[in-house]
Amino acid sequence: MGAKILIADDLSFMRMIQREILTERGYTIVGEATDGLDAVNKFQALNPDLVLLDITMPNMNGLEAMRKIFTINPKARVIMCSALGQQSLIVEAIRAGVKDFIVKPFKPERILSAIDKALQA
Amino acid sequence: MPVMVNGPDEARLRRAFLEEAEEIVQRLSESLAHMEESADRELVNEVFRLTHSLKSESALMGYQSLSRLAHAMEDVLGKVRSGSLSLGREALDLLTAGADRSAVMMADISRTGTEDGADVEDLVGSLAVLVGKESAPGAPAGPAAARTLASARGEPAFDAVELRRIEEARDRGESLVRLTVRVLPDEPMKFARAFLVFSNLEQVVNVIRAVPPMDGLPTRDEEYAETVFYLTAPPGDELLEGASRVDQIESTAVERIGFPGAAAGVDASVAAEGAGEGAPTEPQARPAEKSSIRVDTRKLDELWSFVAELVIHKAHISRLCDGVARGMEAAMIHEELLESADSLEKLSSGMQQAMRDTRMIPISIIFSKFPRLVRDLSRKLGKPVELALEGEDTEIDRSLVESLSDPLTHIIRNSVDHGLEFPEERVRLGKPEKGRITVSARRQGGTIVIELADDGRGLDTERIRRKGMDMGVPNASAMTEAQVRELVFLPGFSTKDVVTDVSGRGVGMDVVATRVRTDLRGDVELASEPGRGTRVILRLPLTLTIVNSLLLADQGQLYAVPLSDLDSTAKLPAADISLEDGAEVAPWMGEVIRVHSMSGLLGGDRPSRDEYFAVVLRHGDGRAFLIVDELMEEREIVIKPVDDLVNPLRLFSGVSILEDGRLVFILDTSFVRRDNF
Repeated sequence: MGAKILIADDLSFMRMIQREILTERGYTIVGEATDGLDAVNKFQALNPDLVLLDITMPNMNGLEAMRKIFTINPKARVIMCSALGQQSLIVEAIRAGVKDFIVKPFKPERILSAIDKALQA
Repeated sequence: MPVMVNGPDEARLRRAFLEEAEEIVQRLSESLAHMEESADRELVNEVFRLTHSLKSESALMGYQSLSRLAHAMEDVLGKVRSGSLSLGREALDLLTAGADRSAVMMADISRTGTEDGADVEDLVGSLAVLVGKESAPGAPAGPAAARTLASARGEPAFDAVELRRIEEARDRGESLVRLTVRVLPDEPMKFARAFLVFSNLEQVVNVIRAVPPMDGLPTRDEEYAETVFYLTAPPGDELLEGASRVDQIESTAVERIGFPGAAAGVDASVAAEGAGEGAPTEPQARPAEKSSIRVDTRKLDELWSFVAELVIHKAHISRLCDGVARGMEAAMIHEELLESADSLEKLSSGMQQAMRDTRMIPISIIFSKFPRLVRDLSRKLGKPVELALEGEDTEIDRSLVESLSDPLTHIIRNSVDHGLEFPEERVRLGKPEKGRITVSARRQGGTIVIELADDGRGLDTERIRRKGMDMGVPNASAMTEAQVRELVFLPGFSTKDVVTDVSGRGVGMDVVATRVRTDLRGDVELASEPGRGTRVILRLPLTLTIVNSLLLADQGQLYAVPLSDLDSTAKLPAADISLEDGAEVAPWMGEVIRVHSMSGLLGGDRPSRDEYFAVVLRHGDGRAFLIVDELMEEREIVIKPVDDLVNPLRLFSGVSILEDGRLVFILDTSFVRRDNF
């Protein structure tokens, strides 16, 4: 394994949880972004295999960041993290080409199986 | 129950049905008329197939009486085909009466949307007597219709558009698949989950229908715990498995199911036989635009909100009038009036936009006829063709639909007939055996761009040039490639010998050009690469009724030139004008172009001055000066058609009436192009 993953979430607590779950599984966290703009910049700089992108972030939201990321690399693997009640945003993200989505709060297995499947595809 | 649709889709669907059914009935009447003379087997098969199609299609739309009638006719023809009934006078009369009655019923459906009140029992009874069985009154429209409407296997009743897509897929060798996707119970967003599968599927196969549907967010997410996708896919399950391999899916089941056509009890050999013969069906001329139209209520709501605002402004202005009467201060009135005028301007442009929207209709109403046209042509000519349609949602003005249908059909026919090579030749050239035609529409600013591209042999410009020289076109030998391509639009190029002579197109392109450039005030151009294919690009104004124009005055009369037909305005010194081959010309941008004067066009003389005001008109590549007395302002005008009686020279494409009652003639600039050659 060891695929390179970029985490983008404005909550440090959330980033920590994700980091722990993923490192334990053997993934490499190549970077952590704290807002949408940061995520786009880091995506460009680090060229990760997959991005975990929160929808609600300051300084450019997740959807906008997703679009920017797809213009940098149309084949980017992006998984959206969303809260309940953001279904319409998720549908929008699917239309734009995200590989999968995770609804918070999530169990560790969910995030892992979503990432495993997205990386296989 | 029949197809469940609501809102604008219903009208669209009904229109598509009527269009197809009207054509069927017309061909039915023609074939029956031929049968009077001689009824060979082929003709009987054809008529059988037509009644069968009419039966199935009307049953799908829920027109039970029509379907019942067609079914009774089909029964009689079935007996005739199998030889157990001879086609006598009585049978022919009854069948003809059946075709006539169908036509009447369809006219009613077209007018009212329903077939309510239609009584077919007399005919159905007489037809049933012929086949030797009494029909039970009120019985459903036979096993076929019953099966299509409420399949024992619970398949949905596909609508006409879906059926067409399924049929096309079958022709491509694909099968119809039912894919059932179950989402894990703990998934908090079941719709989005199903949508993810849907979105993946859409990239690899054709999804015909999803149950529950995938459009719009559902109010009840739980409904998507299980979603059934009906889709067409090539053999093999890999694509489907790949697409549904996403997280949180409990199970997926792939079943290949029969085609709805096969389920409808058609004798397969007949269907195949019938489809291969006969002239390619050209879409019939569309029935005249209906006097009543169906408009999306949202569009009406928007208009209504403008009206509400208008009422407020009216009140405001009344108040100002009172103010004037009461001696309100002039400066204040002025200020308020300015404000009101400003709001009214915004309102009127908003209303104009909203009103125009109600006239818009998706171009799919035209495009939807092409798969069938191409299929028929492809079979007739023995050239396999793949047709791709893009931008079918692009909206166009209703008034364009009728005039646009023929030229597009024409261009496609040319593509298949002359543009595409035969399969053997294609293989020899290293091209895919199947030719490809792409028809796309898109909106570009205030213009609709329609592009028809094929990957055939392209235009042979040298041969066109030689043809042009033979025809005596001046300068043909020195023309640029673009100018040579333009020759194809000349009337003389539509002669028989050119059709077979010029490898490429030529048939009636002058008709296309006239329709597009003159009637639709658009433009058409050709692009081509030898051996790689030809593209025909049409640019059309968004609407024909309101046009941005420059007003001109000459001898006290107002004229207007649509800005799209205007290159520039200029001051033209009389000294610049010279005579060449008996025509007045003047230099412009490094070229020499014709000089006209408004008075000259109307049969008078050019006034004598040292310097003239002129506009440079354009039509396609052509340019010409037009001298007028005065250049006035630029403005939007509403165009009304003009009668040829008052327009014997065909100089005008319409008239407009200004708010002060003055009449404006709108120039038709196509004479500019005529000058070029």
